[in-house]
Amino acid sequence: MWHNVWAVIRREYLQRVRSKWFIVATAGGPLMMAGLIVVPAWLAVQGERDQFNLAVVDGTGVLYEGLAPRLENGGFEVSEARWHANVVTELREQANRGELGGFIMVDELTLETGEALYYSMDVPSALRQVTVQTSVARTALEYQLEQQGVDPEGLLGGGELQVEVLSASGSDISEPQFAIAYGGAFFLYMVILLYAVAVMRATLEEKTSRIVEVIISAMKPSELMLGKIMGVCAVSLTQMTIWIAAAVALLAGAIPMMIAARPELANLEALREIAPGLGLTALFVGFFVFGFLMYSGLYAAVGAMCNSDEEAQQAQFPMITLLVVPIVMVAPIIQAPNTPMATGLSLFPLFSPILMWARVSGGGVPAWQVALSFVLMALMIWVIAAIAGRIYKVGILMSGKRPTLPELWRWVKEA
Amino acid sequence: MRVRAPHSVMGSATESVRIMSDNGFALRLNGVTKRFGKHTAVDGFDFEVPRGVICGLLGPNGSGKTTSIRMIMGILGPDEGTVSLFGEDPDVTRRTKVGYLPEERGVYKKMKCLELITFLGEIRGLHRGEARRRGGAWLDRLGLPEWADKKVEDLSKGMQQKIQFIGTVIHEPELLILDEPFSGLDPINQDVLEEIVRDYHAKGTTILFSTHLMDQAERLCERVCLISNSRKVLDGDLKDIKAAERRGVLAVEFEGPDSWIQGPEVDRIEQTDDGLHLILRDGYDHQPILARAVESGARILRFDLVEPRLHEIFVRHAGGGATDDAGMSDVARRASPSEVAGVGGV
Repeated sequence: MWHNVWAVIRREYLQRVRSKWFIVATAGGPLMMAGLIVVPAWLAVQGERDQFNLAVVDGTGVLYEGLAPRLENGGFEVSEARWHANVVTELREQANRGELGGFIMVDELTLETGEALYYSMDVPSALRQVTVQTSVARTALEYQLEQQGVDPEGLLGGGELQVEVLSASGSDISEPQFAIAYGGAFFLYMVILLYAVAVMRATLEEKTSRIVEVIISAMKPSELMLGKIMGVCAVSLTQMTIWIAAAVALLAGAIPMMIAARPELANLEALREIAPGLGLTALFVGFFVFGFLMYSGLYAAVGAMCNSDEEAQQAQFPMITLLVVPIVMVAPIIQAPNTPMATGLSLFPLFSPILMWARVSGGGVPAWQVALSFVLMALMIWVIAAIAGRIYKVGILMSGKRPTLPELWRWVKEA
Repeated sequence: MRVRAPHSVMGSATESVRIMSDNGFALRLNGVTKRFGKHTAVDGFDFEVPRGVICGLLGPNGSGKTTSIRMIMGILGPDEGTVSLFGEDPDVTRRTKVGYLPEERGVYKKMKCLELITFLGEIRGLHRGEARRRGGAWLDRLGLPEWADKKVEDLSKGMQQKIQFIGTVIHEPELLILDEPFSGLDPINQDVLEEIVRDYHAKGTTILFSTHLMDQAERLCERVCLISNSRKVLDGDLKDIKAAERRGVLAVEFEGPDSWIQGPEVDRIEQTDDGLHLILRDGYDHQPILARAVESGARILRFDLVEPRLHEIFVRHAGGGATDDAGMSDVARRASPSEVAGVGGV
């Protein structure tokens, strides 16, 4: 038996992993992440670091000390030029000789208004302007605050808000946690649907192309169905592993590098803080696998009992409903994760992947409930395998009209 | 093959006979019946194919050929009756000992040719490497080596059929079951396939194929089984059947008067390459014609019952004859497998 199942798994896996669709989708995710976050910043950093020597002419005598490290963090090489009457002419000549990319002049006015003069050999990019401007302004502000005897670090760092929740019933979920819970639930919905539909399409294709007749003469329908589902599952896990690895690389590698290079991108640090940890990621994958196994069984049965894409589109309506209902309930359940209704709905196996995830990722759900949901899902997989396997067995060789519900029931009883 | 000796020693006399005779058969159906709702697709089908024989399963469209083959292949379960392959449980022997080419042939279009063949070999019990090696050799043999890494969808229909055929025989089955193998092939590829079928036959492979191309069946088959309206109407050694069917067409050559060729027995007269043919009406004997000829004083050079072509037998039994139960059962009885098994068997 396993020789056959294994052959089906390998065929399914290799065919899918080598397909253009898989390569585009798998590489596309991380590339888009990287494209949106990393590349512009990285390019800006790369492009300007090489060419930029910046001289600072400090007319105040107090700003250079604070300004230099800020500019260096922003990618400049900084040197101090002493103030004298002909300093502008002299630096201009240096710049023309290629020794300098430009220079900044700060004076007493800078201390009051943050204004500064920036002589640049080329037209500076917006990012570079902002870097110089904020560096100057922050340094000036820091100096002024110090003069007033105020701690500049706390205020310049954006302060800190301590939240105390007064009512006990509400969720104390933070905004990033909400994003993880909601985004994760939606992502689960998408990938479960995507891959379950892939199983359905593959089944339908085998049926309509009639290759199934050759295969069924060499193995049991249940072996084919199992191999198909396992094969697609392996593909999905491969894809997810690549995505997770890319996210880890982005968060642990690329973002710290970028922040080191460009302090003004420090808000990217927030991404690192809200990213789910190892445990939560594992739970996510667990919910996906169990959800996929339940729905792919149902979808395989639908694929087997239909004769065309159009029929299959209509016949998958019940499953779509089962997936959309929890999505609609995700937001309220994240807000109030421990009401009896939230608990009950999230324990219903076909809703569990989405709703239990939504509750768990917000925190505060007893571990036994999570464990119970997995046990119930496992039972559900068993029930679906028994019923869907029978429909599959009869349907895969049946042509003609799509069966009605009573006919389906007869298949299940007789198969 | 499994050794059956202990059974035949320990079993009863009749059982041992059955098992021994089973060993001589690649395939045996016993009273197999299949119903779809109210429609009976196959009705009480008894059928045997001795080992090493090429057997044609003939019948008009919708007569139950494909349903029978699907039951042999375990794709459909019979409502009544049993199927046995090589005298054993078909579920055990089918996968590795039988090669099956269904009528509606599907492929995985997106797969590369050699990969598809390898996969088909794998599910028939071959190891991957071995399946790949044999697949490559087959592609060479059929003149498709450059297609090994091309996708199946890029092939012409005829070439796809070759790929499917390779997938059918890659595990060197002992029994080949081919459902309408020649349909959709151009004459050149039909010859190629016919050649391969003959090769397998020479190697001792049992071959069962369904067709309604009577010429092909006549050239290839040692045995035929004709089914019509879900029932077997004729089954046995082709030579025996033809001998038994030698009636109804009379070839004559003569000198002298020709009035005797007209008569109540003669339906019509045809001039053929083979001389003058008298087509007799059903149920009439040729003997009175001969008497009339002698009486008329004609000099008889040839008076010969022509061996009918399979095509005529087919039309006779499956065409209008499908309802003519008496005539059919007569022939079926005369050419029943139990009588001719000794002739057609190994």
